Amino acid sequence: MKNLSKESILGLFLVGLFVFMSLFAPGFLASSNLKNMMFQLPEFSILALAMMVVILTAGIDLSLTFVASLSGVVIAIALSSGYSIPMALLAGLLVALACGLLNGVFVAKIGVSPILVTLGTMILFEGINLSITKGHSISGFPSAYNLIGNGYFFGLVPVSLVIMIVLIIVTTVLLNKTKWGRSVYMVGSNPIATLFSGINTSRALMWVYLFSSLMAFVASVIMTARYNSAKVDMGSAYLLQCVAAAVLGGTQIQGGYGKVIGTVYAVCIFQILSSGLNLLGVHRSIVDVMIGVILIAVLIINYVSSQLEKRKSIKEQAKSVA
Amino acid sequence: MKAILKSKEMSIAAILILLCIILSYLSPAFFTFSNLTDVLKANAVLGILAIGMTLVIITGGIDVSVAAVTSAVAVITGHLMIYLPDSFLSLLVIFLVAPLCGIVFGLINGYLVAKVEIPAIVVTLGMMSIISGAILYLTNGVYVNSRNFPSIFIDFANAKILGISILVYIFFAVAALTWYVMKNTVIGRSVFAIGGNSKSAIRVGIDFKKVQMFVFAYMGFLAGIAAIVQTAYIKAIDPNGLIGFELIVIAAVVIGGANILGGRGTVFGTILGVILLGVMQNGLILAHIDTYWQKVVVGSIILLAVSYDHIQYKRAQSQLSNIKVEA
Amino acid sequence: MKKALLLMFCVVFFSSILVGCVSSESAGSSSESTNSGEKSSDKIKIAVVPKLVGIPYFNASEVGAKRAGEELGVEVIYTGPTQGDAAQQVRVIEDLISQQVDVIAVAPNDSAALTPVLKKAKEAGIHVMDWDTPADPELVEISVSQIDNEAYGRHLAQILVEQMGTDSGDFAILTGGMSAANLNLWIDWAMKEVEENYPNLNLVTEKVPTNEKQQEAYQKTLDLLRAYPDLKGIMAFSTVAPLGAAQAIEERGLEGEVALVGTALPTDSLPFLENGSLDVATLWDPEKLGYLTVALAKELVEGKMPTDGQDVPGVGVIEVRGKTVIMGPPTDFTAENAAEYNF
Repeated sequence: MKNLSKESILGLFLVGLFVFMSLFAPGFLASSNLKNMMFQLPEFSILALAMMVVILTAGIDLSLTFVASLSGVVIAIALSSGYSIPMALLAGLLVALACGLLNGVFVAKIGVSPILVTLGTMILFEGINLSITKGHSISGFPSAYNLIGNGYFFGLVPVSLVIMIVLIIVTTVLLNKTKWGRSVYMVGSNPIATLFSGINTSRALMWVYLFSSLMAFVASVIMTARYNSAKVDMGSAYLLQCVAAAVLGGTQIQGGYGKVIGTVYAVCIFQILSSGLNLLGVHRSIVDVMIGVILIAVLIINYVSSQLEKRKSIKEQAKSVA
Repeated sequence: MKAILKSKEMSIAAILILLCIILSYLSPAFFTFSNLTDVLKANAVLGILAIGMTLVIITGGIDVSVAAVTSAVAVITGHLMIYLPDSFLSLLVIFLVAPLCGIVFGLINGYLVAKVEIPAIVVTLGMMSIISGAILYLTNGVYVNSRNFPSIFIDFANAKILGISILVYIFFAVAALTWYVMKNTVIGRSVFAIGGNSKSAIRVGIDFKKVQMFVFAYMGFLAGIAAIVQTAYIKAIDPNGLIGFELIVIAAVVIGGANILGGRGTVFGTILGVILLGVMQNGLILAHIDTYWQKVVVGSIILLAVSYDHIQYKRAQSQLSNIKVEA
Repeated sequence: MKKALLLMFCVVFFSSILVGCVSSESAGSSSESTNSGEKSSDKIKIAVVPKLVGIPYFNASEVGAKRAGEELGVEVIYTGPTQGDAAQQVRVIEDLISQQVDVIAVAPNDSAALTPVLKKAKEAGIHVMDWDTPADPELVEISVSQIDNEAYGRHLAQILVEQMGTDSGDFAILTGGMSAANLNLWIDWAMKEVEENYPNLNLVTEKVPTNEKQQEAYQKTLDLLRAYPDLKGIMAFSTVAPLGAAQAIEERGLEGEVALVGTALPTDSLPFLENGSLDVATLWDPEKLGYLTVALAKELVEGKMPTDGQDVPGVGVIEVRGKTVIMGPPTDFTAENAAEYNF
């Protein structure tokens, strides 16, 4: 109870919310609802993880969902014009990586601030997407492809959930166990010192944007497979939610601190909140209000607990002096 | 330091002038008095909000709730207007109530940022979610048209001085007021001081928390004024009319040369950024660019503008360090 | 960095092995559907899902749907995403399946995107219909259409020509959003009508998007009027674009010279109709549409399919073509009659 980290407070909150919804929301624990939540989580959490990694470097990626929809559209065009699934996926991957590369070049090589670059590329990618699709949605996939979004492993766990769990583990390992991961945190906390300590910051940054576009690609595969179509505004509502999930998860917007598990907790909180309130019959705009309230409330709790701790440690110090 | 600031704004001005030259070459209708004043009028709301945002960003904060706050104030004053009689006093009431409502929202943001020490983006993201959700729930998105407004407000909205809409004058008045506050008041100068070097500013005794409260309250005040201008501009209340507008406001400020991490930014640069965005939007149709490609063009221009500006800045800095070495 | 790449590679490799075990059916799903057959309450639950909540058009249809619920004695759940995003709409429908409603009637943001989730709904024993905008025709049992899309698109082109007073000259099109399926459909039909019957009309530029915002429609119309000084007519699609366009025409004093027709609600467009900047607004009564949707949904649960020429109380005579139910012709609102309507 003594050294409760930000993430554990959030975890406790998550458990509390789950218990609350199970008790009060009718049908929350019904298998159909649990299944829904399992299908709704992956695309959002993968995008949120991508956003978190970028935020760790004191950046932000506003183009994230548009990278996803652009690569989704390319996959959809390839599939509907008869290419095989691996070929279509490859095409989508290449497009996503090209987008990531473009972001990376501007941020890492030229050194423009990420919010500006990704704001520009966000509009650019949306524009390219619009001029390809003319705003129409593209559909008509082989049913094998749809299994990625709607299928089950061994008839139990949704495929997309498995992909999500794998990616969560991969991201955790990459951030904590590799040189790149450490340099990501260092770039975020002090880029100049990091540069002087002999780390190629621009290369690390480059990989951050490639990583986020790769995650956007995976999310777009899941989304296109689940929704059976691709369109210019696919998933655009997730953009600010991703930032919100990352910061609720304890990631510092100035970079340098943030844990994968925190973001995962935050995504789960949003999910439970939205499903639970819906089952309770609450108006959808109140869901938005609740998300905002929780965002602020959790941080107030963090603040209060850190204040209490400070006071306690001052008292203890005073005692030990006496 | 001054030289850099100057060069930063100069490069935006250079891009803006270049764009204007190209546009007047492509379309004879571009460089006309009525078109240019239309651009200013259309971007008055953006400009007012961007000026407030500049102060917030200089102190290292950000406010993504501006669009939601502006909508909320517009909804409140708009519904108030339905009950107001048709007299000059009503206009006065509106000009009192709207900024006050805005300041209240701003102070809530400011309190949470300065006193509770929650990062500004989290506070304002949360507030945005709360306010826009509440607006949607309470109004149900209902649109109110001009028939319900007192006719004095419509007269005010249509008023022109020297052929220029009153809304443009409000925009410039806000710019002048902000410039004056920044130059000639203690609190305004401390924003600059914190912008220059926050640590030494705090060491010389500037109350950082007070400054934070001030910039968020001022942002709210301007959001209140922007709400009046917005209502006057479309002569209606559309609760959904500003969704997503916060990103454009932030874009205008950072294109205008403010550093998103704080410490740098000027009112003048921001105004240039606002005009650049406005001219770009206006020029796309005048230059007969196919609508499907318009976003591609806008995105490319933003990327070009920011990297050109950044390369300029880098060059200036490397020159600066060269001089140091020589000295 | 090599390590990371290697790791990625391993992940890809293993996942490709695991792909073999994927199936489309959940193991537990067959037993579960029998459970959901038993409904706890005997009142019929009808879920009506709009494209998004909180815009005037769908508010009006909510009023109609709720009124139908009270008058016909059924429970109506009217819920939708707060943004017109297909992904969010799928989530809403999934949650409704969990609530075990009897009917889901949806106005799709993207019809293809809803196919999988509507299939799921059907498997759970829920009746599926669409309204406002067609969904996958193979899945829905009834498709409630406010209007015959072809007739509506052509009608707009015709009233534009009528208001312009000539069938030659320049015109422009404003639209709510480039990716709005039904707006695109109407625009395509309107263009077809122009190509076939008014070859001298000249569309000056591609349809101009206004982001469902009045101020953008206002600004872009000002720009259009300046860029194309010979413009004689404008067609504005979406419920706010005609208002912004009218504002621009009023400001320029071009009421007599530029004809403007659009798809707006009569109460919103009344001031512009009265001052002559907007010539004709044409739309159906969205409240009636909501009412009709719920009325037909109730009959569907009771096992009755609508028939051509059926007189639905509170709505009127409907037209039925296969699965598609058409509510009736649109109403043209002009300065003379707009004040009589209350939506």
